[in-house]
Amino acid sequence: MAAAKTPNPAASPPSLSFPRATFAKLSPHPFLLAHLQPSTPDTPVRRPNGRAPSQFRVPQKHAGSLSHASGSAVVRLGDTAVVCGVRGEILLASNVGSGAGNDSDGEVQALGLLVPNVELSTGCSPAHLPGQPPSPLAQTLASRLQTLLHTANLIGADELRITYTPPVAVSDDDAGASGESPATAVAPKKEEVKAWWTLYIDVLFISLDGNPFDSAWASILAALADTRLPHAYWDPDRSCILCDDAIANSRSLRMQKLPVASTFAVYSTKHGAGRRGGEEDSNAGAGAPSKWALADPDAFEEGLCRESLTVVVDCLEGAAPTIVMLEKHGGAAVGGGEIKELIRMSTERWRVWRDLLKGNP
Amino acid sequence: MGVYRCIDNTLLPVLKTGLTPSASGSAYLELSPSAYTNETSPSLVPSSPALKLTCTVHGPRPLPRSAPFTPQIQLSTHIKFAPFAARQRRGYIRDASERDLAVHLETAIRGIIIGTRWPKSTVEVVITVLEGEEDRWWGEESRGGTTGVGNVGGWGMMNVLAGCITVASAAIADAGIDCLDLVSGGVAAIVKSPQSGKKLPDGDTDMAGIEENNQWQLVLDPAPSEHQEICAACVVGYLSARDEITELWLRGNIPGTTKSPTNNSQPQMAGVGELVDKAVEAAVAVRLVLGEAVREAAELKVGQNSGDR
Repeated sequence: MAAAKTPNPAASPPSLSFPRATFAKLSPHPFLLAHLQPSTPDTPVRRPNGRAPSQFRVPQKHAGSLSHASGSAVVRLGDTAVVCGVRGEILLASNVGSGAGNDSDGEVQALGLLVPNVELSTGCSPAHLPGQPPSPLAQTLASRLQTLLHTANLIGADELRITYTPPVAVSDDDAGASGESPATAVAPKKEEVKAWWTLYIDVLFISLDGNPFDSAWASILAALADTRLPHAYWDPDRSCILCDDAIANSRSLRMQKLPVASTFAVYSTKHGAGRRGGEEDSNAGAGAPSKWALADPDAFEEGLCRESLTVVVDCLEGAAPTIVMLEKHGGAAVGGGEIKELIRMSTERWRVWRDLLKGNP
Repeated sequence: MGVYRCIDNTLLPVLKTGLTPSASGSAYLELSPSAYTNETSPSLVPSSPALKLTCTVHGPRPLPRSAPFTPQIQLSTHIKFAPFAARQRRGYIRDASERDLAVHLETAIRGIIIGTRWPKSTVEVVITVLEGEEDRWWGEESRGGTTGVGNVGGWGMMNVLAGCITVASAAIADAGIDCLDLVSGGVAAIVKSPQSGKKLPDGDTDMAGIEENNQWQLVLDPAPSEHQEICAACVVGYLSARDEITELWLRGNIPGTTKSPTNNSQPQMAGVGELVDKAVEAAVAVRLVLGEAVREAAELKVGQNSGDR
C-alpha cells in the first residue's frame, strides 16, 4: 500500500497524481513513511527534503555584522536563520549584596552575568506571530539555552570580572621596617572586584524551519567568539568604571570549550503513522514498529515526530568526547545502542561546527 | 568629506526578497553607511551604523469565525527593534515609539493594498529592526565630551520609517497581494551646514526663505549621527506610478520662516513644499531599487514554476 502511494510524478498518470506539496499537506504521515520505506530494497532511503536520515544540513556563519553589539553572528542552517547579538553591560559591585561574588564557582549563575533571550515572534514562522503570549517553544528554548550556558561553563567568571589593585601605600614601608614584612608584601597585591561584565545574549529568529535549538546555540557560540569587550578599569579618582574605546586595548572572550548541539527527531511507525494513517498501520504493524532517527529535522519532520534527542558533545583535541548534555523526551523508541550511535554521529558533527566556528579549513 | 551622506542623490539600499520561506512574503533591506566610512577605525564606537530591516508578511488568512464581518482586508503592522539595534539597549516589550512607527507604516501601506479583494481576511506585516540609525549627533560624546549635544533626538526614527515602508512594500509584493502600486519611502531634512559661511553647491540654494540664510542646507536621506543639528525632516510614502503620497510625516521647524510673524504663511508653505519635494525625490530613487528587486523575485518565481511543469 505504501509503495502504491509513493509520490512519483514521472511514473503515475498525471490525472490522478497530486503535486508533492499537496500530498505532504493532505496526508503527512504516509508521505514521510513512503520516503523512509522505499518500494524497492536497492533504493536509498531519502527524507522528503532529499537528505539521508543521518545527514545534517550544511551550516553557514557570518560574524560581526552588527555595529551596536559587542559581538554578533548570523547562522544559517538550511532555511533556518538566526541572528545573535551579545552586548556587554557593567554590573557594579556596589549594586550587588556583599558576599555574592566570593565563590568563583557559581558566580556567573548567582549574579546572572549571562542573560540569554530568545525572540521567536519576529514573524519567522506563521506559528509565532507578535502580539501573542510567548509560545511554549519560545519559553522552553530560552530555559534550555540558559541551562546549557551555565552547565557547559563556557565562560569563566574571571573573564567577566573588572578588578582593581590598589597601589602600595607609602606608609607600608614604615610598617615593614618594624618586622611585619611578609604580611605587608602580600596585602597590596589583593585585587578588588569592582564590577562585572553582564552579557546580554539576544537570539532572534529571522526564519524558522526546524531545529531551533541547534541553530540558536550555534549562533550564541559564534557571537560569543566574535565578542570584543572594551578595556574597562576602575578610576579611583572619579570612583567609577571607565571604558577605553580603542580596539587595540579591547579583548575577546576566552572560551576553552566548544560544546556543539545535535538534535535528532525519531520517527516511529508505532506512534506516527499508526495513529492516523490506518492502512499503513496494518502493513507496518505486522512486525516490530520501524523507527528512524532523523538528524537535524526540518519543520515538517518536527511536526510528525514525537520523540526527539539532543546531544551536546565537546571533543577537545586529543581527548575523548565529553557529553555535556543529553536530552531525550517524547517516547521510548530509541534504546541504549541507538543512542550510542547517535552520540557517535554528534561527534562527527562537532568537527563540522568546529571548522565553521574556529575558521579551520 | 564625511559629513554628508549625500547631497544631490540619495543613498540606495540593498533589497532582497524571499528570505523567510515559511512566510507568505518576506524582504530584507540594508542601507549601508556612507562610502566615507573607513572600516579600519581604531575605535569600538561605531561611526555610522547601517539600517538593517527584515520584514515578513503572513496572510491573507481567513479571520476566525467569531470575528465580525469585514468587507475589506484587515491589516496589522508590527515593528520591533532588536535589543541590540541601537546605542541604548532596547526593551523586550514594544514601546511607544515602536507602536507609533507601526501606525505610520500602516497608513502608508493601507493605501496601496486593494482591500476589497479579500473580505473577511487578515494580513500581518511584521518588521524587525536589526540595526537602526542613530537618533542624533553623538560626535562629541564619543570623544569624551558632553552628553546630548545639539537638539533633541528621534530623527533616526524617520529613516527607519522610510526603510520600513520600502521593505514592507517589497514583502507585500513577494506575498502576491494585489496592490495599486509599489510604495517607496524617502526622507529629506534641513540640516545646519558645518561651514556656515561657505557657498552651497548649485541646485541647493534655490529654497525660498533659506537663500539669505546659508547655514541651512537641504539634504536627502540624512544620517542623524553626522549632522550636528537637524531642524526639520520629512518622510513620505510615495507611489511613483500614480504620483500619490500615502504617508507624510513632517517634524521640526523650517528655518527662516518663524522669525517673521507678520506674513509667515507664504514662505513657510514654500519651505514645506520644497522639503516634501525633496523627500519625494528620495523616494523615487529608492523606487528604482524596489522595482528591480520585485521584478527579479518575480522572474525567479516564474522560472521555478515553468521548471516544475
